[in-house]
Amino acid sequence: MSIKLLNPNAEVINKSAALHMNINAAKGLQDVLKTNLGPKGTIKMLVGGSGDIKLTKDGNTLLKDMQIQNPTAIMIARTAVAQDDISGDGTTSTVVFIGELMKQSERYIDEGMHPRVLVDGFDIAKRATLQFLEKFKTPVVMGDEPDKEILKMVARTTLRTKLYESMADQLTEIIVNGVLCIRKPEEPIDLFMVEIMHMRHKFDVDTRLVEGLVLDHGSRHPDMKRRAENCYILTCNVSLEYEKSEVNAGFFYSNAEQREAMVAAERRQVDERVKKIIELKEKLCSGTDKNFVVINQKGIDPPSLDLLARAGIVGLRRAKRRNMERLVLACGGEAVNSVDDLTEDCLGWAGLVYEHVLGEEKYTFVENVKNPHSCTILIKGPNDHTIAQIKDAVRDGLRAVKNTIEDEAVILGAGAFEVAARQYLVNEVKKTVQGRAQLGVEAFADALLVVPKTLAENSGLDTQDVIISLTGEHDKGNVVGLNLHTGEPIDPQMEGIFDNYSVKRQIINSGPVIASQLLLVDEVIRAGRNMRKPT
Amino acid sequence: MKEIVTIQVGGYANFIGSHFWNFQDDLLGLADDPHGNEVFRNQSLDTDVLYRSGETHQGVQTYTPRLLSIDLQGSLGSMSSHGSLYNDVSSSGPSYVQTWKGNVTREVSEPHKKNLFLQSLYEGEQKVDPTKKIEDKDLVDSLQEDVQFWTDFSKVHYHPKSLYEINGLSMDANQFNNYGTGRDVFSEGSRGEEMSERLRFFAEECDHIQGIQFVVDDSGGFSSVAADFLENIADDYANIPVLLYSARDPRHYMKPMNREDSISRAIHDAVTFSRLSSFCKLIAPIGLPSLSTSKVCSFLHIDDAKPFYSSAVYAAALHSISLPFRMAPLGPNADSRYVAGAVDVNGIVQMLSGQGRQSMVAILDVAMPAPLIGGASQQSFQGSLNSLTPDVNEDAEDSYEVESMTIHGALRSGGNHALISEVKDSVTAAYESSGKKPMFSHLSVASCPLPVPLPFPSIFGNCVGQHGELLGSPIPGSLPRRSSLDVHSVPMAARLRSSNDVLPFLDKRLSNLRKFGMDRGAAGIGLLQNWGFAKEEVDEMGESLSKLVLALNPYSQDSSDSD
Repeated sequence: MSIKLLNPNAEVINKSAALHMNINAAKGLQDVLKTNLGPKGTIKMLVGGSGDIKLTKDGNTLLKDMQIQNPTAIMIARTAVAQDDISGDGTTSTVVFIGELMKQSERYIDEGMHPRVLVDGFDIAKRATLQFLEKFKTPVVMGDEPDKEILKMVARTTLRTKLYESMADQLTEIIVNGVLCIRKPEEPIDLFMVEIMHMRHKFDVDTRLVEGLVLDHGSRHPDMKRRAENCYILTCNVSLEYEKSEVNAGFFYSNAEQREAMVAAERRQVDERVKKIIELKEKLCSGTDKNFVVINQKGIDPPSLDLLARAGIVGLRRAKRRNMERLVLACGGEAVNSVDDLTEDCLGWAGLVYEHVLGEEKYTFVENVKNPHSCTILIKGPNDHTIAQIKDAVRDGLRAVKNTIEDEAVILGAGAFEVAARQYLVNEVKKTVQGRAQLGVEAFADALLVVPKTLAENSGLDTQDVIISLTGEHDKGNVVGLNLHTGEPIDPQMEGIFDNYSVKRQIINSGPVIASQLLLVDEVIRAGRNMRKPT
Repeated sequence: MKEIVTIQVGGYANFIGSHFWNFQDDLLGLADDPHGNEVFRNQSLDTDVLYRSGETHQGVQTYTPRLLSIDLQGSLGSMSSHGSLYNDVSSSGPSYVQTWKGNVTREVSEPHKKNLFLQSLYEGEQKVDPTKKIEDKDLVDSLQEDVQFWTDFSKVHYHPKSLYEINGLSMDANQFNNYGTGRDVFSEGSRGEEMSERLRFFAEECDHIQGIQFVVDDSGGFSSVAADFLENIADDYANIPVLLYSARDPRHYMKPMNREDSISRAIHDAVTFSRLSSFCKLIAPIGLPSLSTSKVCSFLHIDDAKPFYSSAVYAAALHSISLPFRMAPLGPNADSRYVAGAVDVNGIVQMLSGQGRQSMVAILDVAMPAPLIGGASQQSFQGSLNSLTPDVNEDAEDSYEVESMTIHGALRSGGNHALISEVKDSVTAAYESSGKKPMFSHLSVASCPLPVPLPFPSIFGNCVGQHGELLGSPIPGSLPRRSSLDVHSVPMAARLRSSNDVLPFLDKRLSNLRKFGMDRGAAGIGLLQNWGFAKEEVDEMGESLSKLVLALNPYSQDSSDSD
């Protein structure tokens, strides 16, 4: 209470009230996200004050959109969002798991148990569960040719929780092929090399993989070809516009001739650069059916476009910075910063380059490339919120495939892991623990069951029945998950339901940490707004 | 034609922008009105500089500001972030979800009610029931009390890529109140990338982009967002000059402060200015602590507590400064009947920061309304200008001063429009008679005055006539505050100037940074660390501030004692 002396405005909440405040916040957040979980979860449509629509089944998106004000809930939300940043998925599971740990703890605390003891138990249980995870995981060997089937199963498991079945299945193939396209042996996978592009199309919900690149702009000259085959691609970062040097300003010249002379001198430099490109084009393409495309990160002004167009070159300006890298990976060649010493080796190659126009939007497709290491997933949807939701799902799918390749392992899904881990904790670990910390282990074990329970609940099944039949099977030594249609146990291996090892690991790791922190809070002091500032 | 892309970052910047675009929209409308005044029909101002032409999927032509506006989620009020033009009404109903066959829950926020003004705009487009027409007077009155969001008084259609909302901050607008809170906002998630992408969309279409006009609300976390964005822009568009207005709401100065807050704010101001100025070509800080009692408002009635009012004055000044960018260059000696003194953004930047004292900090002065030529008060244009930049000296002698002035819509005594040459003569005569002449001055003149759009606040005093002429005595029987129904246009004068008058502004920031952030045991060192600045970075900021001071005052004593 000494804080009162220091700041009479401070609001102090004592130990038990603080604890219950935390528990309630955690449960509240759990309630909001719980219904999202799994392939039978509920999709949420958020309609804003101005009628803007957002569609999401993703805990991460939802948390960011909820504008949470409760400090405890903010802490949990941050952990969950960090979960997404690290492993790409599992936001909802993290929130649900933390909520359940708090809920289980509440029972013991109400009976007079000290939170410290529970926290000790959590710690033991966490370490044991992580060890168990190592034993439980299904190793996948990722040689030069990864097992495409297993990657597809992981992607499908993720996607089916975000999109309806047939759409998820269609995307599965696209996503796996996309990741395999950019994968290089012995190098970490850079998912940014998969471009995700969208088009608004009135009736169509469709997605396809473009082996090559789709740019969201086109040429800016009427005489440039809208479609060209057998193209050399020059990827460059060279200004092809009139540089504004100091003498350009109006008050440095005294008559029109002088001004003209200065403009001409500046212009000449730009023209020189354009001419060098044209020279190379003439050398390589004249007399053949080959074409030449310039894709520039900097600007190209109309006189330069004109010169290029007259030489039969297609020119695109102000390409995305990242597309410079992608283009080189897709088409070959290199991104050049100067047009001096251009040779054929600098150029990439594409079998087909064409432009597609939708209203004021222009798209340029660079396709039929050789041996691409960058590709584009092109999403079509009838409106922005549908597109946004598919995009989120695609991102999650990509992450899941990437995780699998990097983990070289997967985890049996449909709740199988959670039930198995729980049985392991109750039947084996608990006995080895001295004293009341046992109860912490038990609370942790029961909290794990929240995943199969919620899956069952969202499918309209009776949670008690489900848990009993699942634990029964596990006690018999059968590792089973939950069939969401029937409520019967199934073999996730047979059904191809696999989760990411790293996602699960991260959930087990971070959940108890936050729960422990929240349980050990013994005073909440609110001394003005500064309390809640992020540090 | 040389295009400008406008970027507005933060709440107050968008309030200013909303007025700014209302002026442009009004000018567009007046230019097409066959019965309109000649000065509006022959503006000789190229609107394509600020606007872009587009086409919706349905093939409808559009003409929208080349604008990127950035604000917090929820700041758009009743306006959709997709704008109003590109929405595909025919697409299947909003409740139909095409990506999910399972359960759907809808969570609908309380819709923001459209105010009377927005209702009337909407109805104007729907062409319903003329009998239920809302009277202009009611609209104007309702706006005076009823503006909450900057969209509440905007009559402009925006492009869907123009309005970007920052979400996922998990703090409300009141907490987003210092440089530190905005740290990482740009880089987190894909926000920075999305902003850059949208800017790229507008920049890619430009054949000869002349510059970027950037307005930032520098009172809180947005200054950090803007600094990061500017850093990116400096990278991607190295040769394109950025003209930065660092604006502040008078409300910001009205909040009560304890010692901790005032230290935090002093550091915020220093850091913000140092960071923002390092990524642009010319910075004009605007935002007086008490606009309503300043000399700028001699003929205006402003309520400092209402951003709707105060932002209108800043917007008018920005509009005036932007006019020379839109005039067609005719060469130094040829003049059109309607405009004179065209110069592009780069020209202004070179003029102000490239000669004289080579200082990139400019003072913005404005006269609203500008005085009559040969009027009873005998006031010159120069004499009527007052600064919108805070903490500046008045009337200090500076023989190296450089300035660029725009006068538009000037009136002769008697209320007739003055000729371009009369304005020029008047300015020259004033310089000669006062004996105080800057080292270099540029004058741009346009005949087209500032139009007063309907949703403009009622801020004119009762000495301001229908065309903005200043009257010797109050209009009998008129209210103390005259609205857009009483005053239709205003002659304006505005000036950007580079002078050592800005020294107190810089000194204050430099000494605060030293006092609270750099000296041994200073009170704000921990705060700066919290904001993510290492000691070296703070020293660097101090260094760059003292360089700015040094440019203006070579004799400054305390400039480099840190070495």
